[in-house]
Amino acid sequence: MSETLPVVLLVDDEKHILSALSRCLRREGYEILSVGSAAEALRVLGERPVDLIVSDQKMPGTHGIAFLTEVERGGSRVPRVLLTGWPEEIPQAEIERAGITALLPKPWDDAELKSTLRSCLTG
Amino acid sequence: MNARLLVVEPFEERPAAASTAEALRLLGPAVALELHHEAPVAAAALRARHSDLVVLDHRLGDDLWSLLCRAREGATPALVIGEAGDEAHALRAFRAGATGYVERGPAFAENLSTAAREQLQWVQRIRGSIPSFVEEKNAGTLDRYSRNIIENMNSALLVINREGAISYANPTAERALGVGDGELEGRDLRDWFPGAEAEEILPLRTVKEGTRFRGVETVLTRADGTLIPTGISCAPLVDAEGVGEGAVAIFQDLVEIKQLQRQVLQTEKMASIGQLAAGVAHEINNPMGFIHANLSQLTEYLDDLQKVWAQVEGLRGAADRDPADAQQVREAARALGATIQAVDAGFLMRDFGTAIRESLEGSERIRAIVTDLRAFSHQDTAERALCDINRALDSTANIVWTMMKHSVVLTKQYEELAPMVGFPMQLKQVFMNLLVNAYQAIEERAAREELRGEIRLRTELQGEEVLITVTDNGVGMPKETLDRIFDPFFTTKEVGVGTGLGLSTSFNLIKNHGGTLRAQSEVGRGTSFEVRLPLGDPDELL
Repeated sequence: MSETLPVVLLVDDEKHILSALSRCLRREGYEILSVGSAAEALRVLGERPVDLIVSDQKMPGTHGIAFLTEVERGGSRVPRVLLTGWPEEIPQAEIERAGITALLPKPWDDAELKSTLRSCLTG
Repeated sequence: MNARLLVVEPFEERPAAASTAEALRLLGPAVALELHHEAPVAAAALRARHSDLVVLDHRLGDDLWSLLCRAREGATPALVIGEAGDEAHALRAFRAGATGYVERGPAFAENLSTAAREQLQWVQRIRGSIPSFVEEKNAGTLDRYSRNIIENMNSALLVINREGAISYANPTAERALGVGDGELEGRDLRDWFPGAEAEEILPLRTVKEGTRFRGVETVLTRADGTLIPTGISCAPLVDAEGVGEGAVAIFQDLVEIKQLQRQVLQTEKMASIGQLAAGVAHEINNPMGFIHANLSQLTEYLDDLQKVWAQVEGLRGAADRDPADAQQVREAARALGATIQAVDAGFLMRDFGTAIRESLEGSERIRAIVTDLRAFSHQDTAERALCDINRALDSTANIVWTMMKHSVVLTKQYEELAPMVGFPMQLKQVFMNLLVNAYQAIEERAAREELRGEIRLRTELQGEEVLITVTDNGVGMPKETLDRIFDPFFTTKEVGVGTGLGLSTSFNLIKNHGGTLRAQSEVGRGTSFEVRLPLGDPDELL
């Protein structure tokens, strides 16, 4: 049965953020994959299909925007959400280049997180 | 010698034995004389025609002073003839602009002609040195040029005589010192340096020793008692024979420049603090993010666990009833079991603890950042104080490190140091600049290649100096860049990233401490900044 659940890939270098995100999405009926870096996320994406990516922006090594741009360059159509404490600081052009579906603020509001993810998956 | 002389003396029916005109005829036929008896007519002539020299008789009374003034306006040298022994009159004439003074008395004619000849020769010497483009102009015009320049230039000019009194001050000097027209002349220069020792007053040293100064910062006191910072330049004044006659001093009011410097410092401080604040905000935002999310999840957990608790209460009620209805108890137990399963109570109980533990860890991280901030803001004073350099460096490094801990390893090697006299906040500002620069250099290199960023901090005591080194393994700089890093507004960073003032400000702050700031760098290897600070004398603070 688990094969039928939408797969959400969470990317954040902060493991407690990953844990809090999973906690919040616990009842949303997703299969959740958590990884700590853009490199790991790219490896997972190479191994299996996912339905949604939620990535943090500020991470050591590759930042969220660069990681999602790379996903976009690879021709992926997976909807993607960027989680950032400073959403207004990211230029619109970069958001478009990375094919970002939605921006979420950090700290996030649980209800907003859930509804954003839902609409990303259905839209 | 071709020259025009204008002679003004009151009309006399029976001229003195040796008249002025006769005496001047001794100069020879090449000297044209124009004689006037009426002051207004003479003044008009002075205005209308060029004269090389004007000779004025003291018997003109008050007209003498107005004619002297005219001559001065037209930059025409003026020789005054006075009564023998009237020193006060002679002095007054000189102050009013006379260039020479001859007393009546024995050998008057000879003295007068000699003085007039000297004055004319002086005029001709000036003419000889006129550059070709003004050669056609006469000496009077040149004199007028220089007078115009002196009176209109934006620098204050003082001429100081051998006795240390001001013999000339231009209008800018009068404005700068807050006195009216002509009020400076004759005043003792020391009046403008109250409380200063003679050797501290640079123009007096120039008068005495002939020393030249260029753009030395010195403080003058205005007439109203306010102090003005100035940059002063002094040169000795010598006569034709090279004998010292005093000094010329030019100074500029530095009040505005000082204000700008302060603003620049403030701008740079704000820029550094902005960078720091952004780093700290990010480090606080992450734990805040999960603490906030966890708290709202825990509220949901609690709601669910309360549902379980309500069933527990129901079961207890059924069991407590007398006589116990086995059917009801079974029913309540079934409902409890169903709720426990529905809310996944087992998971909730386990995860409740995990969420609290993680949140506590997050709040501990925030607490640590606040502790670092508090240590950093310790001694946030603009006053001079005894600084613990290791503590200042360490607290700054800890704060800056919050924003780079993901990509940089910080190694510290602190030697025990004696306390140093300095401005703690300024030193922390310098350390912050150096650390942020090191971090940016590492980031730049890390963007191109796999890199384990490293910043090494080191302090050591070298005699009476503290040596602080901040070394990074970032991109490094070519020599052309290294040569300019301390220049104001020089930056290699993108627009908006730096003010271009970080290192020049740091350089100046260290200089103010009597220390030095140097950098060594190698492209692709990294950069090392070296701060040397004198320990200073702690007794100075008492």
